[in-house]
Amino acid sequence: MAHETDGSPFTPHAPEETAAMLEAVGVQTEDELFDIPDAVAFDDSFGIDQRTEREIREECAELFGRNDELIEFLGRGHYGHYIPSVVDDVAGRSEFLTSYTQYQPEIAQGFLQALFEYQSMFVELTGLPVVNCSSYDAAAALGEAATMATRLRGVDGDRVLVPEAMVPGRRSVLENYLAGTDVSIEAYPFADGTVDVDGLRDQVDADTLFVYLENPTVYGTIEPAVVEVCELADDHDALATLGTDPVAMGLLAEPASQGVDVVIGDAASLGLPTSHGMGLGLFATRDTFLRQVPGRLVGATTDDDGRRAYTLTLQTREQHIRRERATSNICTNQAWVGLRTAMHLTWLGADGLVDLASECVELAAELAARLDEIEGVTAPVYEAHHFREFVARTDASAKSVADALVGAGYAVHVLDDDHLQMCVTELTADAIDGLVKAFEEATA
Amino acid sequence: MTYEVPEDRRYVATHEWVEDRDGIVRIGITDFAQDELGDIVFVELPQVDDELEAEEAFGVIESIKAVSDLYAPVGGTVTDVNETVMDQPELVNEDPFGDGWMIEIEPTAADAVDELLSAAEYEDQLE
Amino acid sequence: MIYDQARWRRTEEPVYEPLSAEKAERTVDLDDRDVPLPDELTRDEVTLPRLSEPELARHYTRLSQMTYGVDSGPYPLGSCTMKYNPKFTEDVAADPAGLIHPHRGDETTQGTLELCGRLQDYLARIGGMDAVTLQPPAGAAGEFTGIRIAANYHDHRGESHRDEVIVPDTAHGTNFASAALAGYDVIELPSGDDGRIDLSALEAATSDRTAALMLTNPNTLGLFERDIETIAATVHDAGGLLYYDGANLNALLGRARPGDMGFDIMHYNVHKTFATPHGGGGPGAGPVGVTEDLQPFLPTPHIRETGDGFETYEPAQSIGKVHGFCGNWLVLIKAFAYIARLGDPGLADTSAKAVLNANYLGSQLDMEIPHEPYHHEFVASAGDKDAAEVAKAMLDHGVHPPTTKWPDIVREALMTEPTESENRDTLDQLARAFNTVAAGDEDDFADAPRRTSARRIDQVAAARDVRLSWHDVEFE
Repeated sequence: MAHETDGSPFTPHAPEETAAMLEAVGVQTEDELFDIPDAVAFDDSFGIDQRTEREIREECAELFGRNDELIEFLGRGHYGHYIPSVVDDVAGRSEFLTSYTQYQPEIAQGFLQALFEYQSMFVELTGLPVVNCSSYDAAAALGEAATMATRLRGVDGDRVLVPEAMVPGRRSVLENYLAGTDVSIEAYPFADGTVDVDGLRDQVDADTLFVYLENPTVYGTIEPAVVEVCELADDHDALATLGTDPVAMGLLAEPASQGVDVVIGDAASLGLPTSHGMGLGLFATRDTFLRQVPGRLVGATTDDDGRRAYTLTLQTREQHIRRERATSNICTNQAWVGLRTAMHLTWLGADGLVDLASECVELAAELAARLDEIEGVTAPVYEAHHFREFVARTDASAKSVADALVGAGYAVHVLDDDHLQMCVTELTADAIDGLVKAFEEATA
Repeated sequence: MTYEVPEDRRYVATHEWVEDRDGIVRIGITDFAQDELGDIVFVELPQVDDELEAEEAFGVIESIKAVSDLYAPVGGTVTDVNETVMDQPELVNEDPFGDGWMIEIEPTAADAVDELLSAAEYEDQLE
Repeated sequence: MIYDQARWRRTEEPVYEPLSAEKAERTVDLDDRDVPLPDELTRDEVTLPRLSEPELARHYTRLSQMTYGVDSGPYPLGSCTMKYNPKFTEDVAADPAGLIHPHRGDETTQGTLELCGRLQDYLARIGGMDAVTLQPPAGAAGEFTGIRIAANYHDHRGESHRDEVIVPDTAHGTNFASAALAGYDVIELPSGDDGRIDLSALEAATSDRTAALMLTNPNTLGLFERDIETIAATVHDAGGLLYYDGANLNALLGRARPGDMGFDIMHYNVHKTFATPHGGGGPGAGPVGVTEDLQPFLPTPHIRETGDGFETYEPAQSIGKVHGFCGNWLVLIKAFAYIARLGDPGLADTSAKAVLNANYLGSQLDMEIPHEPYHHEFVASAGDKDAAEVAKAMLDHGVHPPTTKWPDIVREALMTEPTESENRDTLDQLARAFNTVAAGDEDDFADAPRRTSARRIDQVAAARDVRLSWHDVEFE
């Protein structure tokens, strides 16, 4: 086993080695190396006990064991799909895990190429030629898109329009990103679970800077008016930004061909399991905005042997060079999650992605239809095609139904007094029968 | 290291040069400035008819590791922009006083150029 | 030491490991498929690489071999704290019972909430802070969160006129960018000749417009700001807040705490100080600690202990959210496991060995280190040589080079942070690499590196002819 010390198990210094090093430096003790005035020195203890590796694994297993075992029919911005073992195994290789930002490209070609492949696959899915690698999550990517809009030539105004129904949390993050500007955020209406285009038309004007929409929407509905919304934005020199999802893009119309200027989303629905909201911010945009893009970009070039090679490029946009005039403050990003997502997408391939996306449509329809047969339940509430999730109305109190479902081992979203929302993927497909049965009992 | 400082034009402390061409002035960056920046990869310039104040930043020039603003030595209206240099930024390195020029301005004040540094004065400043 | 990095290359084509799509691609035409949506909602086709699982495993294994990590060798990238990442933390984070959805009710997620609560508590103790949020997903996000908290605090006190944030010239670029993103004018503070804060310059820079001073301590030169009490008093007397950039906290673990130095807000870089892997650029996590007065401004939801468990709540004057959900959860679990593994004795030993290693390495170098006494990192000067060229030459010696050309108050800077997890032998190897290159002829560096997976890369061409996807690349 690793040598036990009185200190850290991860400092490799044998006592005689420490002594020799201290002598080489010319001091008696490590304490002499600290140039800290007494007045601010800390001479107490933290009261944190040192535990062994095994004790910590048991401790955490015990803690996680206190989470109720529930089958989660949950979505609204965070989704889990089956992660193939090859992703965990190969992405877990320590060269990937323990490297950092590729400031020296010659020694980091492998990771750079993986990120280039990540960018390339999302160029394919979005139809937009510039994809960064990466933002923190969909909410941060949305915030970055809006602040980018404030810097663009040919895009002007001071109003940001967002759907009244959007992935929770995203709007709040957007508000923080825009707090340092004079831009205001206003909601535009929904009608029957998708964009109320007439309502939006009444709101959009010459002062509109940015129009955000989602497809699928937060209700899981597939938005039929993406093109119209983008045209409205374009008519008023506003930036059209779409929030979407990597799986959904396998089936839904290509964003670029619909007139979308920026695509944001949580790309970690491929690559990461459900992980308490941890994500991967997808950010894709048009060539025109290349110099204003936030975050890192990997470009192809050649090396001295004339072979194709990869490097971080256009770094003058970034904070370590441009400081307060940078296109973003981001430094550490979600690169390793991007690697995992790239691997997962490659594993699926085009057939696998289309199949998975189709399954997400079919399963939502199947579960909604089964619930709709239950007396006192309407599902889906909205007349639309759905992806993964949908809203259901219950005659009984939604909260009491959800509580009863938790009692039976299922978690769903409560939207208000009489609306619930459910998300279903291949991971929960086998639990549909059980959920429907529990639903019948809960609403009886 | 010695830098080229042609005597047929005027200079400013921020390393731009100005060449009077019959009432229209052409502006670029000096040999010293291109050498300090290293390989230029990007130049952003204003549009024709933009109005510039003297000492106002009118553009941006970038190498892979540095960014620099371009300052207008004199105020006036932009009459021409070197589109070629935007497509081939390496021209700034190769020929800073010739093909690597940036913009042309019709100055607001006719004698503004005369007040700028002479080649000798600029050369002194480089030392 | 010599290191030949794996270099897969095709003799018949000018590429190394081909791109996945270059190996094989497949296009699915959706018209040929029985898809459950009408045409007007769907795309025409999808093209993605077509690799079988064995090919996929080999492709990415090769890419990993063409990547240098901490497990490969020393990685003294200054200000990044590239220390050993304990393996068991990966297993702890992978526990399926911890992989829950963020929209579950508190009563069904008590285990997760308690782990969050304990981590908040550990971080508060380590930093000398009263409350901690785990939400910011990286250090820069923590800075932005902290400055937003400062802004709301000033607004709440009717002092919205404060529109400046002061940042020393040696600070991380993120400080400038985070303050600007929050809408502040950034006042750059020139360092004194000794590389520390110049008190008279600080006095002159502070006013009733000062919202905050952002400070890294020890600073990026590795120097402790010995005048920290005076600095804190100057900023506080002007009505401003003191922000601690936690990038260099590794130097102070168990020795000094930002809270005791007078800092009001701080972020922790858990991927630096608390050994969560850097992952080729991320994910990290940037929890933020604050004093009691600022606790009501923390992002929502915050987690607190109640009589019979833990709950999420919205603080009274919350700034709102800085992450769509709860932050980088998998990273936070690893940080918790690491802190628990170290405990009090391990934390103190970490700073002791981090500082000893930097000082030992510095003592073995034939290079000038203009600013002393340094702690966990130092900035050596490459003198007449170009620091970037020195870095390329070092790549052939089996080490990752230091951070180069920054901070620019040191000529041709080599910012070097060996961390506590290297032993003396490795530090000797590192010193040999530095000294061999320092003694070398810069004219020879143009041909370096020779032993890495790719040779010297043309970054100028990459920036002039921007190609960001394989759609811009000719396949072989």
